[in-house]
Amino acid sequence: MSETVLQYVVVPAMQIAVVVGVLLGCVAYLVLLERKVIAFMQVRLGPRRVGPHGLLQPIADILKLLLKEDIVPARADRLVFYLAPVILLLPALVAFAVVPFSGTPFRVLGVEVRPWITDINVGLVYLLAISSLGVYGVVMAGWASNSKYPLLGSLRSAAQMVSYEIPLGLSVVSILMLAQTASLVGIVRAQDEAGSWFAFWLPYPQIVGLFLYFVSAIAETNRAPFDLPEAETELVAGFHTEYSGMKFAFFFLAEYANMILVACIVTVLFLGGWLPVTLGIPGLKGPLSNFVPSFGDGGAALTGFLWFGIKVFVVLYVYLWIRATFPRYRYDQLMRLGWKWLIPLGLAHVIGTGIVLLFAF
Amino acid sequence: MLGTDEMEINLGPQHPSTHGVLRVKLRLDGERILDAVPIIGYLHRGCEKLGESRTYPQAIVYTDRMDYVAAVNENVVYVEAVEKLLGLEVPPRARTMRVILSELQRIASHLLWLATHALDLGAMSVFLYCFREREQILDLFEGYCGARLTTNAVRIGGMYGDFPDGWVEEARRFLDILPARLDEYHKLLTKNRIWLERTRDVGVISGDLALDYGMTGPCLRASGVPYDVRKALPYAAYPDFDFDVPVGTRGDTYDRYLVRMEEMRQSRRIILQALERLPDGEIRGKTPRRIRPPKGEVYHVNEGPRGELGVYLISDGSENAYRCRFRSPCFVNLQALPELCRGHLVADVVAIIGTLDIVLGCVDR
Amino acid sequence: MLPLARAKDGFFKRLLLVDLAVGLWVTLKNQFRPHVTHEYPAERPELRPRFRGMPRLRDHPEVDGPLCVACNMCAVACPDFCITVVAETRPGGKGKQPRQFYIDYERCCLCGLCVDPCPTKPITAIYMSHDFELATDDRDQFMTDLPGLYEGQERKVYER
Repeated sequence: MSETVLQYVVVPAMQIAVVVGVLLGCVAYLVLLERKVIAFMQVRLGPRRVGPHGLLQPIADILKLLLKEDIVPARADRLVFYLAPVILLLPALVAFAVVPFSGTPFRVLGVEVRPWITDINVGLVYLLAISSLGVYGVVMAGWASNSKYPLLGSLRSAAQMVSYEIPLGLSVVSILMLAQTASLVGIVRAQDEAGSWFAFWLPYPQIVGLFLYFVSAIAETNRAPFDLPEAETELVAGFHTEYSGMKFAFFFLAEYANMILVACIVTVLFLGGWLPVTLGIPGLKGPLSNFVPSFGDGGAALTGFLWFGIKVFVVLYVYLWIRATFPRYRYDQLMRLGWKWLIPLGLAHVIGTGIVLLFAF
Repeated sequence: MLGTDEMEINLGPQHPSTHGVLRVKLRLDGERILDAVPIIGYLHRGCEKLGESRTYPQAIVYTDRMDYVAAVNENVVYVEAVEKLLGLEVPPRARTMRVILSELQRIASHLLWLATHALDLGAMSVFLYCFREREQILDLFEGYCGARLTTNAVRIGGMYGDFPDGWVEEARRFLDILPARLDEYHKLLTKNRIWLERTRDVGVISGDLALDYGMTGPCLRASGVPYDVRKALPYAAYPDFDFDVPVGTRGDTYDRYLVRMEEMRQSRRIILQALERLPDGEIRGKTPRRIRPPKGEVYHVNEGPRGELGVYLISDGSENAYRCRFRSPCFVNLQALPELCRGHLVADVVAIIGTLDIVLGCVDR
Repeated sequence: MLPLARAKDGFFKRLLLVDLAVGLWVTLKNQFRPHVTHEYPAERPELRPRFRGMPRLRDHPEVDGPLCVACNMCAVACPDFCITVVAETRPGGKGKQPRQFYIDYERCCLCGLCVDPCPTKPITAIYMSHDFELATDDRDQFMTDLPGLYEGQERKVYER
């Protein structure tokens, strides 16, 4: 009994605590990273006053948001108003339950720990389903604010998020076809067996799929260049206008947690997850998979996590890079892009992958 | 049956992208704009009235602060109007110096326009890059007259003083790096598909309609009318220099963007020629101690970065002007806002206000 | 007249997103350029010699006392009427010196028109110093009188 309790309750509980804790810390520092990276691209320095090089800035931000006055609009729907940020944040956090952070299970104090919270065999479908729940939070936020502009902003945001779910799903279908499994760990293992990441998979590199997924994800997370519903220079200030203090912090956290989730998924699906960067050179895979062989499996797990972390960081950097560079789309152009360009492109990509699979194998 | 109503909302005086305190009342049908009425006056400081109770040299200070982004151009037009009244002859060195400073101010003003326009449409980095270049021009102004924005660089009869040592070399160094930087802005924006979608066919106005509204400057030239005061009614030392006037075809936001980018290059061309041929000599001609123009009136125009800057002075023989009227290009261009906005979506209003390049100090005076 | 070309990329360039890639390259290049931020107030700004800060008076280089001869020309030239001069005869008899000299910094717009007509040679008695940190807590401190205007007075420098 104690073995099962340990394996199915205690270890996952600790894993969840660690993942959520690290994730929230990462989200806070992602905010700082965004400010610094965009600042460097704009030939200026970012935050510098709070702590050396601004490293304590996220703590200052969190303290500020905690201590702010909590304003609820007069005739707002209180229950919905309080629930909306929660409903927006929870799916982002819950989706991390299936993300594999590393490849090798290792033993700690006699207990086997797997470097993922769980691995269900419909992991991909689970992910798509859970991330769609975030739309409810947006709509609820706009509705509960009882104010014209948040309502319009939230409806626009929700329509944008729902429309871009379709190209998102289509880009993932071809990965399903290549990996023949919907479990995320299985997908990375399939890339391991195939010898190259799916993004560079011959004879049909999934670059189009990667592009499609990434663009749809940027639209899903309401980031530039698709951030019209929440941009400051536009007329309608967006669904989180009426929020202040910790609830506003939740919206912020949700947005950045979604960004990190997208980066993790892109890494797992297209960029080989925890696999090392070998550039196809044979023989490099062994030494690069374990930088600390003395720890055995633990070392392999750590190294896998390191590679995973590097790839996630690169994807996040591209997110910030795009934000610093491009102007933003107008709302109707955004919707037109999603429906008229990305969906046909996704369909064509799926058909292309299917044809290649049929004739090449 | 579900009917739809028109909605009237305010693009209020406090808004990050109205370039000052401008209020626009929008009448919307869904997202389409039916009417956009600008309401101004939030920055009115009574400069014209103040001009009546100050002597002519004192009033130059107020011209700095009206269109604070084109301070030197405003200074020059006012001073030249007074000189016309007095019949003063300005030495050639002073005239060339006026050209150099005016064109530098034009580049600085267009950089500011590009920065804020791109920022409104979401391209944040262009804002910072343009300001980096603008800092160098402002440093040049500080080196010459002591202030970056409110320059007060021109005096009646000539200039404030001569260029300090090393100023000409610093200006040349700046002009050397300018083309590469302009190319960077072009790479970031001109062919970018998002920029094209946001600016093509947005805010179209035909040449005839623009002339009817009295628009001048890049807004008019983008609609196909090749009117530039520097060519039509030359002032200062402009007849001596060789430059082209860019003219657009369609009269939309994209054309106005292209016209202003090209104008920056042409300004650079003028400054290089002027620095080359800077004549020697004194910088202030014979000016009376007390400026007391004879009775009369004069209207003098200038090509500011935003359009035709005009000054209308009526002198009654005393030290103060009887009437000092400034024709502000932004005020006249802003009239066309309802025409430009009609039929577009709400998100385009920001692009259109940006492309008209208004500075509220100039609109409200 | 210079008619403009409304350029558009060819079909393949647009298909391969060349315009977006070029933009991304520009931003990346700028990442590695040195920053242009001046970290004020830790880093004092470099002011040009002709910078127009607050107007101050100079001491007479040889004799004890101000250089100013209280001719009132600066007060007449000021567009904001912020200078008030009250004259008295110099000790020693020759010429005038200011008994009171007020500049109201609430009104002064730092235009420098007061320096032009100052008649003292070879340097003007009133000059635009490099002081720009003029904030005070109390409005009364804005009206500066003769002792406050001397060159020798301590300049205010912001620390943080």
